[in-house]
Order: sequence, then C-alpha cells, then structure tokens
Amino acid sequence: MAGMNVESNPQELILSEFRLRSPGAARFHQSLVVTVLIGCALISILTTIGTIVMLIYESSGFFLNEQIEIGKFLTDTRWTIGQTQGEIRYGIWPLLSGTFRITGIALLFALPTGLITAIYLSEYAPKKVRAVLKPALEVLAGIPTVVLGFFAVTFLTPYLLAPLGDFKPFNAASAGIAVGILCLPLVTSLAEDALQAVPRSLREGAYGLGSTRFEVTIKVVLPAALSGIVSAFLLALARAVGETMVVALAAGSTPTFTLDPREPSQTMTGFIVETINSESVVPGTLSYYSIYAVAAVLFLITMLITIIGQIIRNRYREVYQ
Amino acid sequence: MSQIPDQLKHDSAGRNERRSRKSNSFAVICLLISGLVIVILVTLLTTILTKGAGSLNWNFLTSVHVENQPELSGIWQALVGSMVICLICGLFALPVGIGTAIYLEEFKPKQRTMRRFQGLVQLNINNLAGIPSIVYGILGVTAFVYMFGLFDRIQVNQIPEYEMGAEYFYQVNTISNRRQGIQGRFVSFPAKDPSQPTFEINEPIEVTDGGGQSFMLNVIADDLPMPTDPELLERTVRRGTVASRFARYQASHFHLPLGKSILAAGLTLALVILPIIIIASQEAIRAVPNSLREAAFGMGATRWQVVRGTVLPSALPGIMTGAILSMSRAVGEAAPIIAVMGGILGTTRGLSNLMDASPVLPVTIYKWSSHQNVAYENLAAGAIIVLLVFLLLMNSVAIWIRYHFERKQGAF
Amino acid sequence: MLIQSQLTRIDFVPSTGILLRSQTNSSNRRPVFLFFAYGLMSVLVLCGCNSGNVQVSSGDSNLAGTLRIEGSSTVAPISIKAKEMFNAIHPNVNISVSGKGTGNGFAALSKKEADIADASRPIVAKELGNCQAAGVEFYEIPIAYDGLTIVVNRANEFVRELTVEQLIKIFREDFAAKTWNEIDPSWPSERITVYAAGIASGTHDYFVEVIGHGTNKGLRSDERTTLSEDDKLLVRGVKDDKYSIGFFGYSYYVPEQEVLRAVKIVNENGVAVEPTTETIISGEYSPFSRPLFIYISADSFKRVEVNEFVNFYLENAPEIVTKAAYVPLPDEIYERCFERIEAEQNQGIGTHYLDSNDQKRTGSILEVYDFKNLRR
Repeated sequence: MAGMNVESNPQELILSEFRLRSPGAARFHQSLVVTVLIGCALISILTTIGTIVMLIYESSGFFLNEQIEIGKFLTDTRWTIGQTQGEIRYGIWPLLSGTFRITGIALLFALPTGLITAIYLSEYAPKKVRAVLKPALEVLAGIPTVVLGFFAVTFLTPYLLAPLGDFKPFNAASAGIAVGILCLPLVTSLAEDALQAVPRSLREGAYGLGSTRFEVTIKVVLPAALSGIVSAFLLALARAVGETMVVALAAGSTPTFTLDPREPSQTMTGFIVETINSESVVPGTLSYYSIYAVAAVLFLITMLITIIGQIIRNRYREVYQ
Repeated sequence: MSQIPDQLKHDSAGRNERRSRKSNSFAVICLLISGLVIVILVTLLTTILTKGAGSLNWNFLTSVHVENQPELSGIWQALVGSMVICLICGLFALPVGIGTAIYLEEFKPKQRTMRRFQGLVQLNINNLAGIPSIVYGILGVTAFVYMFGLFDRIQVNQIPEYEMGAEYFYQVNTISNRRQGIQGRFVSFPAKDPSQPTFEINEPIEVTDGGGQSFMLNVIADDLPMPTDPELLERTVRRGTVASRFARYQASHFHLPLGKSILAAGLTLALVILPIIIIASQEAIRAVPNSLREAAFGMGATRWQVVRGTVLPSALPGIMTGAILSMSRAVGEAAPIIAVMGGILGTTRGLSNLMDASPVLPVTIYKWSSHQNVAYENLAAGAIIVLLVFLLLMNSVAIWIRYHFERKQGAF
Repeated sequence: MLIQSQLTRIDFVPSTGILLRSQTNSSNRRPVFLFFAYGLMSVLVLCGCNSGNVQVSSGDSNLAGTLRIEGSSTVAPISIKAKEMFNAIHPNVNISVSGKGTGNGFAALSKKEADIADASRPIVAKELGNCQAAGVEFYEIPIAYDGLTIVVNRANEFVRELTVEQLIKIFREDFAAKTWNEIDPSWPSERITVYAAGIASGTHDYFVEVIGHGTNKGLRSDERTTLSEDDKLLVRGVKDDKYSIGFFGYSYYVPEQEVLRAVKIVNENGVAVEPTTETIISGEYSPFSRPLFIYISADSFKRVEVNEFVNFYLENAPEIVTKAAYVPLPDEIYERCFERIEAEQNQGIGTHYLDSNDQKRTGSILEVYDFKNLRR
C-alpha cells in the first residue's frame, strides 16, 4: 500500500513518515535494523555450517567404523548396504556410476537440445514463435520433478523405450530422459542469457563483413558466449546430479555397476530417499550412517560443480558488463 | 583490408547461395529441435490429462486416502497440507530472504571485516542454491525433527519435555460387558497432575461424556453387585478402576523437538527456497534506479529510511514475483518432505495443529504412482492435475503482480 | 450398539438373537454378570431395544487418544483395515499405521516410539534384549496366517512349480543362478531378475530361514536383485518383467492374480501346492505358511484407547483378516490371545517363541503359543 503512494509522490511520504524523529533516534533505529538484517544473513551461513557439521559428524560414524575401510569405499564396485544381512560391501561406485549414468543420459539430451533452442531463441526466432516457445519453456521449468518421474514411469518406459528393446520396468534411460527434460529449460534460459550478453557490436561487425546468420552464430556469437554456456552446462549438471524424485520413481532401487541404460540404476539421491523412506535407519547402525556418508559425497560433488560454474560465470560477466 | 575484395572475387554466386542455404537449413533444424520443447510439453500434459481426468470429481477433492480402495480415495488432506506447508514456508523464508537481500544490496559496509562477511554470505548463497534438496531434507531431520538431540525424543506414553497448547485428561470406560450387552460409556475428566500416565478412581468424580454432558461418576466397591438401572450402570465404575491419560491439542500446540511435524517440514522447505528468494530479491532491489535513492538521501533520510520509504516499495513487485515463483517450487518439492515427515498418505484426524504430520500433494503423487494397485496411478494423475492447477494459480498471481505494477511504474 | 462378530468365543443370546462377545476385565465374574445380563437383555428387548437414556450410539464415541502402529508391511494391510473399522466407531482416536519392516517395528517398540509393532515373524533374542534394556514389555498376539507367495509374471509359461532346492539355487547368495536354464535345462536361457523383500522385513527373514536350511547363507544381493521393504514395488517389478521372480505376502498377490502367477511349491510330502486360503489353513502349503503377529507395548495397553483397540482387533479378527485378504487363525488361538491380555497382574506378558537359552521355538502355532512357553 505504501508502495503505491510512494510511486505517486515519494518525497511526501518520506517526510510525513519520518518528520518527527530526531537524527539520533533515527540512527539508533537504523543500527537496530542492521542487526536484524545481519541476523537474517546469518541464517544462510548457519544453514551451510549446519549442513557441513552434520555431514562431517554423522558420516564420521560411517568412516570411523571398524568395519569400514575408506580405500574400499572409494574403490569397491559393489554396494550392498540395505541389501543384505550378510557381509556388506560398501563401494560407492555403483551409486556414483548410477548418478553419472543418469546424469550423462540427461545431459546428452538436454545440452544439445537446450543449446540449439537457446540459439534459435536468441538469433533466429521471430516474435510469434518466441511468444509460444518462451512460455512453454517456463511452464516446463515449473513442472514439479515428481510429475516428471510419473511421466517417466507411465509414458517414457512403456511407450517410448519398451518398443526399442529389453528395457527393465525401472531403468536408467527413462529416468535419464526425464531428468534431461527437467534440465532443458534451465540450459535454454541460461545459455540464452549468455548469448544475449554478447555485445551487438560483435554481431554487426560480422554481418558487415558479409557473413550469413549461421556464420555469425557459429563463428562469432557462440565462441564469445562460450564461458556462459559452459557455466550453464555446469549448473544443469549440478541440478541433474542432485535430482531425487525422478530417479526414486523411475530408476529402480538396485545399485548397479554397468553402462547398460536398460538396467535399473540406483543413484546417490535415490539411495538416500529410499533408505530414509523405508526407515531402515535405526540411529547408530551402519545403514543410518551410510546415508550421511553418501550425502557427504553428493554434497561435495554438487558443491564443486556449483563453485566451478560460479567462477566461470563471474568471469564472463566481467568481460561484457 | 585488401583480402576481402579478393575473397569476394573468388566467391562464385554458387558458393554464396550454398552459404545462405546452409544458414537457412540450420534455421529449420533449430526450429525443429526447439519444437521438441512443445512436443514434450504436449505429450506430458496429454498423458496426465488422459490418465487423470477420469478421477477428477468432487469426491476425489474432498476425501482422504483409503488403503486398497482407490475408488474412495481422495486428496483433501494433501491439498490442505500443501497449502499449509506453503504458508509456513513463506512466513519464514520471505522475511529472512528479503532481509538478507536488503542487507547485501543496501547496507554495503565500509569496514573490511564486514565487507568480507558480506562476500562470504553472497558466495554462500550462490552455493546453497546448488545443494540438492534431499540434502536439505537430511538437514531438516537432524535440525528440526530431532534438533541435534538437544531434547528428549518424542515417545509414546510420555509428555514431551517442552510443550504448550496441550490439555491432559484421563478417560475411563464405565462398567462394560459386551457379553451381556453392556457397552459402557467413555467418560473423561481433566488431569490435575498430567505427569501421571494413569489415575486410579477411588471416589466419585465429575466427568464428561461424548455428548458434552457432565455428571458425577458413581463408584462402587468391588464386591457390590452392579446397579440394575441401565442409566446408573452407565455412570458407574468399580473402585480402583484405572483411567488413562490422553491429550487434547489446541491449535497452538507446540513441542520441542519438533518431531515429524508439518512445521518441521515447512521450515525445511523454507531453507530449500531461501537462496532462491534472496537471489530474486537482490535482483529486484538492484533494478531500482539509483536516482531514487539519491533523491531520498538528499532529503536527509537515513539509509534505512531510504530503504523502507523508497527502495522496498519500488522493488516490491519484483520481490513478490520472485517469492511466489520460489514458493511454487516449494509446493512441488517431495524429497525433503519424505525425509522429514515420511511418506504419509493420510491421517485420521487431518491437520489440527502445527505438530501434526500431514500428507502433501507431491508426496501423495509419489506414493500413489509407486502403488502396486494400478488404479492409484490414475489417482496420481488426478492429483498432478490439481497440483498443476494450484501452481498455475500461484503463477498467474505472480504474472498479475508483475503486469499490474510494471504499468504503474511506467508512469513513474 | 452391539458388536456382531463371527468369532467362536461368542454367546448366543436366545432371547434377542444377537451374537455377543465377552469383554476383557470381567471374564472372571462371568456367572454373576451373565445373570444380570439376561435380565437386562430381556428388559431391553421388552422396551423394544430403544431405551432413550442409553445414548452411546456408535457415531459420537467419546473415546479419544492417539495410537502409533509401526512394523511389517505384510501385516500393515490388516492393521489398516482394523484401523478403518475401529475409526468408524471411534472417530476421535488418531491411529497411524506405517509398514516399514518388522525389524523397524521392533526398533520403534523398544525406543517407545510405537504402541503396537506389526511383525511377520516372532521377535528374536536381540530385539527382546533391546526391549528389556529399555524397560519395554509387550503382549505377543498372533493375528493371522500368511502364505509367503512366490510369484512369476503371468507371461512366464515355464515355471509352474518349484522345489525348495530350486528356490535355493535361485535365491541363495552362494548359488544366485543367472539364467533360468541353470535351474532346469528345459527352461530358456533368459536372465533371472529377482524382486525380494528387503532386509528389514520379516518376510525376508522368514524366507532366508527356509532357504538357509541351517546354513548361514542369506539372500542374494547382486545387480539382478531388487530388495525393498515396500511390497508394492516388488509387485510392480514382477508385473513388468517377464523373466523375473519375486516373493511377498499372500495379500499382495490376491488382487494381482491377472498379471502375476503364484508358483506351486513342493512340500515335504512331495506334493506341489498352490497358496490358497484352504492350503494355508490346512498347512499343506509348506514350508511357506507362517503366522503374523502384533506386539503391544504393555505400558500403552494400560491406556483405554489402546485396550479398546486391541480388544476390537481380536473380537473382529476373522472379519478384519479376511477383508485384508489374509487367512484367519484357528479360533482356539484367538481364545488364547484373550487369555494373555486379560490375565491378572500382567501374567500374559512376554514371548512364546524364545526359550530360556534365546533359541527360537519351532512348531505349529498351536504347540508354541501356549502358556507354558511364555517367557517374560
């Protein structure tokens, strides 16, 4: 309400609201406000600290357990926690490979499609097409991931993949494609931003030399926007690695160490949500601590990708802004 | 410079034509691939509509999940749960998020340590946005459900250590014997000392029955015959009968740790969307022209007065748009909620206070679509339609705000 | 206002034609009560059963409180049915049922996070130890029979019956057959996919006990095997996968008979038997018939709402169990269950399935579920 007033006459409102206060009181008031604001900012810091402390503390219960050798965690190719009551194997590779198999399929689909769509939107699209494509992308971006998981199970697997070969009811391919659909709008909008950030002068220069639109796009705009596009790819990668509901619904719950996209493939996120949901998590047991160990690995990976993405993004911003 | 005319000379008309043809065919390829977005979207929506349209009816919207009876099941509790969780999430994440954004954008400190602090916060927020939501879910379990083990766990037959909004009563069944067709009546009375789980009735005491009617409980000794008057019999217990404690919860009911409650889930979701709200608000604040700030400073306003009187009002539409968009992200999240509240499909009473657990739409969709009974798959599709409509409504509010205020600001 | 049931432990009241069940704490005063009851019933019948003062209609029961049931996903459908029927009479009792595996149920019971633990196998020594350490006592109540059902896809034409030896080859970790022709040379050389109950479930434990054959060998856990506590996931898996095999509780099989087929199991007498209600009751479906249990925390049982719920559960057990697609126990067993919960001074507390050396007692439920075997 105050907003509307201010827009019509800001000075009047400011004067009427603050006229009676002495400068000293105002300064005191302000320092109070700043303290509250710092408190708000602290919450985000506390979230990070809380996450890191929790992951270190709880996963130490896993790594310091006498049954566990860190070497085996990093090299063994079988993961049987939550799968057997006998001798457990706890190599992270099946989960890690599951994550990257699905991520790979997702990016294989999302990156070229997203990039080309971004190029089309930024360089070619007439207004009418844009008016359809942009909202479609926004709607796609707003669709909850659990819906895409449903789509993978009820459409992609039975109708798209099953006719193509011996796909298991839960498989890496359908989950991968669904995660790809999820990443598509993200890649498109970030890549389009990067392409649009390329200064007009570069394009005009190239056109002036008689280049066709294709040549301008491929030889001038794309290289100039490369860092932005790479950072878009990295953010999409982080998103795909952390995606949970699609894989929980569509990828099955068997940790496998294979390259076959027709096989089920439990990911790190899938393992966490499955184990937490089935509540085979009696605190103090190995399977309880293993959740945190897997989460710590997941956290490290996404953190690394995000940071690299941020660095590249900031660099390209500096160049053109 | 002299090379260009050379090249042009060598360029036959055919080559130019090839170049332009290449360019045109690339445009067509681009158009086709971009069209994939539309194809995907249409397929997705068609799949959901064909599967789900049949299950949409009034009963579906107003009833709750019934196990193994999909024809009776509905989404009422999930719908309410989603709305409440959205509200909790917004109430917490909005002030904190906007506060952080204001601090980062408008209160750039001069001291080096504070500048470093701000840099850290900014870096941290960008990284928080990249953390998978399931990791937030685990954090929610540790930080909200169990509160780092600082308090005793919530257990059955025990009153939580820190609690409010709970009234304790004892209840007892009056003399009953189904073999003889004596049903008995469940009566209750307030607990004077709630710490005792049971209460032995040795003397008459005023009790209330199901209809809210109060009367004195008739207590008879063990060896006396039962009263023959059925009305009196209904008001009689034997001496030494043990009444047991139960709680009635008010809407303000609250306890620590939060346990698997909708409040814990809402707070967890707030953490998930906090970075998104902060980033969106920062951008909205950045978009406010500097001239506005300078004008206000020129009139002697303090920085906070400038922010409150000038910056915030004109950044508000942008902030609200970002906030609504990130809250619609929260409404669609399932993974952190499964971690915090568990995959609940329904509760007996429905949501009556913030300490209750509740189903929400995305979790219901998840549980239904992994249900072995295929009929639930169609219900899941129906629930998806409702969820999408819900999101659509939220987004249209955002679009309306953007449109409405952009027009106003245009006159500015 | 009167609860009708098909139980044996019912009295037929001639004057009214109404079947009535006895109630808990007054069974020792039966003769006196009976006398009054007949008198009262006659009065009620004379009044046309419509005494205006008796207002305890089922709709507005005053019974309140909260009840948490955790444990076996096999037993969960029974408890959910019981909950639904109980809530129809007592809508103010808040009951939550979650099926996350027998092991997790016992863990919740010992951590005092559940009032009742559903279990698809009896408690084991370690879990009993946990309960004792936490000071948690319980009543052990068998509630139904289950035939652990081994299923294949309907489209699978070659697997009609299996012997326990063949099951061992398919499921046990030291064999873990990769293709079907390893089991029988006449079967196709297609790869076997296994959908099995997860390690926190009692179904898993029971199955491992049978195929373990006294060895310590457990279930396979390779990449061809999906293990889950969620039976629904297993049903879906076998449903969509032609060359797969899986197992779960009988009730999860019943609604899926069009797409799944239960494999006949060759019993000790060399007869291949399909799981049906009849063969499970008669014990012909062996060795995969097993009783299912609920374990009630003795502390919680003092609460009126828990007491009422358990009594309701037992009174209506045959109806509840049948509705949940399981097989009711002999009436004799339900009779003994009432003796446990009605026993004076908590004499009915404890388990029947562990002897004093922590060894598991085996045998039919009628032999084991006996007061002389009760161990506190």
